[in-house]
Amino acid sequence: MSRARPFAVLGALWKLNAAEELQYRANFVASFASTAFYLLTALLTLSLFFRHASSLGGWDFWEVVVLLGVFNALSGLVEAILRPGIGDLAAQVRSGNLDLVLSRPVDAQAFVTFRHIDIWRLADIILGLGVSTYALLHVGRFPSGMQIVAFVVTFVAAALVVYAIWVTLMSLAFWFVSVENIATLFDAVFEGARYPVSAYPAALRFVFFYLLPVAWTTTIPASALTGRLSAPTAVLAAGVGGAALVLSRLLWRAAIRHYTGASS
Amino acid sequence: MTARVWVRRYGALMRNAWLVDLQYRASIVLWVLWGVMEPAIALGIWWSIAGAGAVGGYTRTDFARYFFALTLINQLTIAWDSWYLDRWIREGDLNFKLPRPLHPVHEAIADNIAYKARSAGTLLLIWVAVSIVWPVVRLPFAPTTILITAVAVVLAAVLRFLISFTTGLLAFWTTRATSIMELHAGISLFLAGRIAPLSLLPPVVSGVASWLWFPYMLSFPVTLLTGAAHGHALWVGFRGQLIWIAIWLVACRTAWRAGIKRYGAAGG
Repeated sequence: MSRARPFAVLGALWKLNAAEELQYRANFVASFASTAFYLLTALLTLSLFFRHASSLGGWDFWEVVVLLGVFNALSGLVEAILRPGIGDLAAQVRSGNLDLVLSRPVDAQAFVTFRHIDIWRLADIILGLGVSTYALLHVGRFPSGMQIVAFVVTFVAAALVVYAIWVTLMSLAFWFVSVENIATLFDAVFEGARYPVSAYPAALRFVFFYLLPVAWTTTIPASALTGRLSAPTAVLAAGVGGAALVLSRLLWRAAIRHYTGASS
Repeated sequence: MTARVWVRRYGALMRNAWLVDLQYRASIVLWVLWGVMEPAIALGIWWSIAGAGAVGGYTRTDFARYFFALTLINQLTIAWDSWYLDRWIREGDLNFKLPRPLHPVHEAIADNIAYKARSAGTLLLIWVAVSIVWPVVRLPFAPTTILITAVAVVLAAVLRFLISFTTGLLAFWTTRATSIMELHAGISLFLAGRIAPLSLLPPVVSGVASWLWFPYMLSFPVTLLTGAAHGHALWVGFRGQLIWIAIWLVACRTAWRAGIKRYGAAGG
């Protein structure tokens, strides 16, 4: 399979995609309003907890708000790219549309991942990072250049971990056809990433650390911004992100090898 | 005579719903899991906050019981009808349901009973299993409490069904009926006691809640089961449930009549 000019292909896809989405501008208002409402309930929930506590797992109110912003940005990434892209994989396996992707002279994994982007939900990323920035400015803890670099690295690593989780869940479609609702499993557990890992009792921490490792994804980048992250942890997180990318690649290859097409 | 006809009708509808659900066993497990995670996360946070002491009169044990009861009763009273109705109306499935000699609401009710029997049954088994290894979540066995709670749960299920059904009917007028339901769910997070027992909310907020239907959807039966509500609260709770059921019933009938008239006009 030759992989001629992958960026040109992606560029063309996104241009089409943007043209398609721009027809539905009212969706932007609806999507923005729903995110704003979601953030509002999350902030109210936090203030309810902080009515009865001075810290959550050692994090003060504004630090948890920084984390909440990171969570919102990351879930924006999920909604904008992963759910419409790799999240559609199970349906494509079932309907046989995957055959059409596999026969194209492009990298199938990249194509499936980026083929459709819900551009309105990209605003969630900006909104989330805006909330984090506001919280940091409010307490006057402006992160240093080094901290921002650490944040960017760990945030990318977190995105890769989330991506690997999605590839893992969706790859199940190659073995069991009816897993279209499997994303619900991710949604349910990802909610746990709204609070710092240290705020949970041991049993839940175990679930978020090992069973579906979402805990890493928000606590570590937020730690980078609030100055809690040690250099070894940052390096480790970057390593985990790299490993997640490799893993998702290997898993994809194994799944494709197993796949025999819808017609057979 | 007529009673027997209705028993037969509901028997058929529920058997049908049960068999349809049977095809989606994996999906139902996932939805139940989704219903478990939210209270589990809230319990986790409150558990840590409470530590060895108490928060607003709630110790760790009280929180554990509260959120276990909440999970079960939420599953017993939850109604997805606004999502179904929204789809029926937008995609025209309603056309096939209207000519039947039975009002579509009966199909929705039968679906609810079958779904709740399955998902809540699963949860009850999980609760029993957990309580064997984790004595904290064991509730004292009191037949009267269970009986009274059962009545409140049925009324709460009726109330939540009417709310969900009525909101779904808004699809006759708007394409964003499910967004309105999401908004309602967001408010119920606080006012129905999903994120914390109502007594832990700021007094102004719980004051507002007491003038609305939210506490009767969930919080009231939950506090009944955990034994936190008795005496006067019992009377206030049942009265509230009945009043709000009556109000939502009227809203539901009104919306149905007006909507069907409009639907006919649009489709004809």
